[in-house]
Amino acid sequence: MDKLITMVTQMLEGSEITLEIFFVTLVLALPLGIFVALGRISAPKIISRLLEVYIWIMRGTPLMLQLLFIYFALPMIGIKLPDIAAALLAFTLNYAAYFAEIFRAGIQSVPRGQYEAAKTLGMTYPQTMRRIILPQVIRMVLPPLSNETINLVKDTSLIYILAMNDLLRVARSIVQREFDMTPFVIAGIFYLAMTAVLTWIFKRLEVRYGRYAK
Amino acid sequence: MADMQNKEEVMLRVQGIHKSYGSLDVLKGIDLEVRRSEVLAIIGPSGSGKSTLLRCMNRLEEIDKGSIEIEGGFLAKTGKDGKAAYAEPAECRRLLGCMGMVFQQFNLFPHMTVMENLIEAPIQVQKKPKEEILPRAQALLKKVGLADRADYYPSQLSGGQQQRVAIARALCMQPDIMLFDEPTSALDPELTGEVLRTMRELAEEHTTMVVVTHEMAFAREVASHVIFMAGGSIVEQGEPKEFFAHPKEERTRAFLKNML
Repeated sequence: MDKLITMVTQMLEGSEITLEIFFVTLVLALPLGIFVALGRISAPKIISRLLEVYIWIMRGTPLMLQLLFIYFALPMIGIKLPDIAAALLAFTLNYAAYFAEIFRAGIQSVPRGQYEAAKTLGMTYPQTMRRIILPQVIRMVLPPLSNETINLVKDTSLIYILAMNDLLRVARSIVQREFDMTPFVIAGIFYLAMTAVLTWIFKRLEVRYGRYAK
Repeated sequence: MADMQNKEEVMLRVQGIHKSYGSLDVLKGIDLEVRRSEVLAIIGPSGSGKSTLLRCMNRLEEIDKGSIEIEGGFLAKTGKDGKAAYAEPAECRRLLGCMGMVFQQFNLFPHMTVMENLIEAPIQVQKKPKEEILPRAQALLKKVGLADRADYYPSQLSGGQQQRVAIARALCMQPDIMLFDEPTSALDPELTGEVLRTMRELAEEHTTMVVVTHEMAFAREVASHVIFMAGGSIVEQGEPKEFFAHPKEERTRAFLKNML
């Protein structure tokens, strides 16, 4: 029993870095994703094309490769980031690309008439976006956003390859040391608990933002 | 108020408007004038360019050639190069602010309650304090017969109710000219009456209105001037009584025969 408590305590410590990567990525990648989406829709063509290339690269290569690239390749050209910052940069760039595509689909699904109504009422583009379009987009993007966010919880385990002591790495080192599989089971329960909380939060959000629909 | 003002004042003047999409000429030189308190009805078959004309008036579409003058200020005019040029953004905003628009599809903001729909633009655009707007919005809702629906969402209302909210929303900005783009065309027949009644009341209060419509009875009874368009041009126009009783052009007669 003592052994189990020690294990859980160690793994809770490992969860800290997992949660840190998760929350910081979410806080940075969501607004970045909105701006990339707006840029793709309404920025000058050259910027829109560059953003398209960025999204293509981020979605077209493995996140693991992006992590390794930022962690190992950048120092070779003189850019040395602290471990955690390198991981956060890779995660944020990657997730912002996915979020951008979700927001773009959401923004484009708002009927033209909404823009026209706002325009005839004298609203500017930023006012129209902030007050009319984005609030409607949020409702539509919640389900795909929920999916991506749950993926992020699990993807945080990739920092394992950067030798950071996240939940999964702690679990594995205990397994190797003690020849006991329990830590893997506990890790699985931890991930399930995190995604359960997220699922609940998104369900609440969907109810809240869905209240005006029929 | 409106009675006291000069009825001869031209609120909206459109001259020589041309508009094309690629090789398709939608408007082929349209001239018209709307005076204060006048109700102009624009009728015609679908594809005649009447909705495009209305949308050009408030710059939802841009004209290629011609001029648009709103209360004496030029929204767009055509210089020597033959291409229409629009006024500076600030001037455009000022001129377009003189007009309110009601759409065929209502275009209410679905995430806002009826009251929020009404007060959004006055607060955000005109920067009016909420205390000043609320009584006006409440009065407008009462006027369109929806005082008890202030806290409903648009999806909880019938089409006719939604369109009346849309009219109140446009009026809440206190425009000088109201534009209506087929306001009853998306409604079930039994719901058009309540919207037309509201519009008739506006006309009786001397609101300046431009109405694109398929409702011939409304055009005949409420309009002060009727324009019949076909193929991107004005075919015939006149006082409604004379226009409907003795249409001169063959195309007008054929159209009216189909409609009545």
